[in-house]
Amino acid sequence: MDSMLEMFIFETNQNLEQLEQITIQSEKNGAFSGEEINDIFRIMHTIKGSSAMMEALEVTALAHAIEDIFFYVREKKPEKLDCSTLTDLVLNAADFIKTEIDKMEAGEKADAIAADLIELTRSFLLQLKQTNGEPPEKTTLPVKQETIQESPKTVSSYIDLDEPVNVFQARVTYKDHCEMENIRAYTLINNLKGLVGELHYLPDNILEDDESANIIRKNGFNICFTTSKEYDEINVLLNRTIFLKELELDQLTDVAECSYWPKKEVLLKKVPPEKSIVKVEEREVSHPSMISVNVTKLDILMDLVGELVISEAMVTENPDLQGLDLDNFYKAARQLKKISNELQDGVMSIRMVPLSGTFQKMNRIVRDMSKKLNKQAELVLIGEETEVDKNVIEHISDPLMHLIRNSLDHGIELPEEREKAGKNPVGKITLEANNAGNEVIINIVDDGQGLNKERILKKAKENQLLYKNESDFTDKEIYSFIFSPGLSTNEKVTEFSGRGVGMDVVMKNINAVGGNIIVNSEPGKGSMITLKIPLTLAIITGMTIKVGQSRYTIPIMSIRESFKPSLDNILVDPNGNEMIMVRGKCYSIVRLHRIYHIAGAVTNFDEGIMIMVETEKTIIGLFADQLIGQQQIVVKPIPAYIKNISKTQGVTGCTLLGDGSISLILDVVGIVNRF
Amino acid sequence: MKKVLIVDDAAFVRFAMKKMLEKNGYEVVGEAPDGSTAILQYKELRPDFVTMDITMPGMNGIETLKEIKKFDPNAVIIMVSAMGHENFVKEAVLSGAVYFLVKPIKEENLIEVLSKIIES
Repeated sequence: MDSMLEMFIFETNQNLEQLEQITIQSEKNGAFSGEEINDIFRIMHTIKGSSAMMEALEVTALAHAIEDIFFYVREKKPEKLDCSTLTDLVLNAADFIKTEIDKMEAGEKADAIAADLIELTRSFLLQLKQTNGEPPEKTTLPVKQETIQESPKTVSSYIDLDEPVNVFQARVTYKDHCEMENIRAYTLINNLKGLVGELHYLPDNILEDDESANIIRKNGFNICFTTSKEYDEINVLLNRTIFLKELELDQLTDVAECSYWPKKEVLLKKVPPEKSIVKVEEREVSHPSMISVNVTKLDILMDLVGELVISEAMVTENPDLQGLDLDNFYKAARQLKKISNELQDGVMSIRMVPLSGTFQKMNRIVRDMSKKLNKQAELVLIGEETEVDKNVIEHISDPLMHLIRNSLDHGIELPEEREKAGKNPVGKITLEANNAGNEVIINIVDDGQGLNKERILKKAKENQLLYKNESDFTDKEIYSFIFSPGLSTNEKVTEFSGRGVGMDVVMKNINAVGGNIIVNSEPGKGSMITLKIPLTLAIITGMTIKVGQSRYTIPIMSIRESFKPSLDNILVDPNGNEMIMVRGKCYSIVRLHRIYHIAGAVTNFDEGIMIMVETEKTIIGLFADQLIGQQQIVVKPIPAYIKNISKTQGVTGCTLLGDGSISLILDVVGIVNRF
Repeated sequence: MKKVLIVDDAAFVRFAMKKMLEKNGYEVVGEAPDGSTAILQYKELRPDFVTMDITMPGMNGIETLKEIKKFDPNAVIIMVSAMGHENFVKEAVLSGAVYFLVKPIKEENLIEVLSKIIES
């Protein structure tokens, strides 16, 4: 993408996000504060300017219309302001702009027509002016007019120190589309200050009336003055006028030849230059200097750091070094390790982004949905400042949105029902994030009606999802059915949820980043959905294990415990399925050597190791030869040529170990689902 | 090479103007997102030209113009304003601004102003 467009999209999206936040906040407060009005005005102003440069003219026009409202509100501070309608207006405009930006991002033309929205905006402003007792007229800023008032209304003139002898008449026309010709004319006569004796011009109301710009556009700007300077000098001077299209300069013999020279000569005082004494507020502006960097560059950097960590291990753990007495070498190696660890932490921290942006977006969803569903709900955000890797954020934004929608649609009841149940009619949804080791935990808690176990079970039965006796299912297992495709217990399909698509996608997205979902619910009291997300996708802590001659790595997040099994705890059912008893509970066993067809691996349970791994659905035991050790690993995708040959199952990626060998990273969720 | 300082709160506008200027042989020595940064940068970088957006959060372009002029009365500052904001431009002109551009900024307009200033 063109870097200019990229920048435009980035900045405009950022502005729109901020706009949405401010607007929703002020709607909540029931009023726009002075600062908020200023911010909205500025955002619209910026969007107007940038979109005009990108030639998205409908966006420009719409931003201009909204800007006008906030300009009026800022200057006139109207007493009666319909905040709710204005919020709708601003949000609709933001949506329109967002859609257009998305189109541009996709390489399409931003060609939607905003006329309806603009019309709505204009009529809102008109009404606003009328209800606040103002005749519908152009609003003007109070311009400091002292300098103008000192000169006679129709003419201005300056006195030259030398005796003025020559009379010149000039007509200046400006280039098309240079805008504000009247003010340009003013700067022109300002430039002549000190060089001319008496000066008159037409149109004469250049500063007072912006309409004069149109007259200048049509007829040019006429000036006539006396001066001691010669023709050539004046010609050069006037030719320096910026955006000059044409200059007609004539020398007159007498001022009487000029049609707009006043009959009676008026001598004027020199315009005193306005002394500018403006106290600039001393404020502490702490702008952390920021730069924006393309994410792909960060990805490359992260990759390189990963390579560095591996090569460092390859050097320090090199088999050639075995048996040698290398005190100094190891001293230097330790230093290297320390620095590369710091480098790794540094690069990781660059990629970390607070969740606040994603969280704030949810405000809008709750607002729009509660309005449409006639429900009342408040969204509480906790721990917005929690940081996660940029890539991870991109993957969890949609699932979060979906979960919030579900909470509001299915969880929170109508106000009447809530009152009947003795609850606050205003429902509460809490979105909470916190750090726990290498994971981020996000809880979505609502105080609604909770999940209906019986209905979920019934639906699951209809969809033939039950894999054991109905009575054997634990609550957790039943709740996890809501993530199965095609399972929606809501009879009524609403605009927002209830089609049963979505929850399975939520699960898929979260699994894709190596995360986990846990559902808890209490009938009548509410539900809590917990997402466990790894801090970063690029480097994880893994346990490397050995099966035969092969190495595998299991993300430490999924491991519950590992132990040497004793044969007494192994059970085999009549179908030959192996199971293990752990503290009175029975879990299935998956032999890794069997699913990966590895010859020469340990087959007797008492000679190998059992690793208990956990997913949101269940816990199983993975049987391997031995544990090699826990270490930070750099996740690499499986190369395309291997992926294409065979559908790799149960493997999410691979990594290089310190000795240079390759280890496959096990996809625990995949293994549990398949075996 | 003539040195330019770009002052605008919109990163996109700074970026676009920088491209236009560099294409035409100007050196963009600084970019400031607000007035107070602009003043600091002006004092440090002493650019030949400043392009100054009028509508900015905090200290606006006009106040910044006045501050810079106080420090260096010969500073060449080109005010940049959006269409429809005649009143801001008037205020700027009455405060001592000599040059101004109207957004959306076109490359030819920007370059014309600068070359005209250099000529004189």
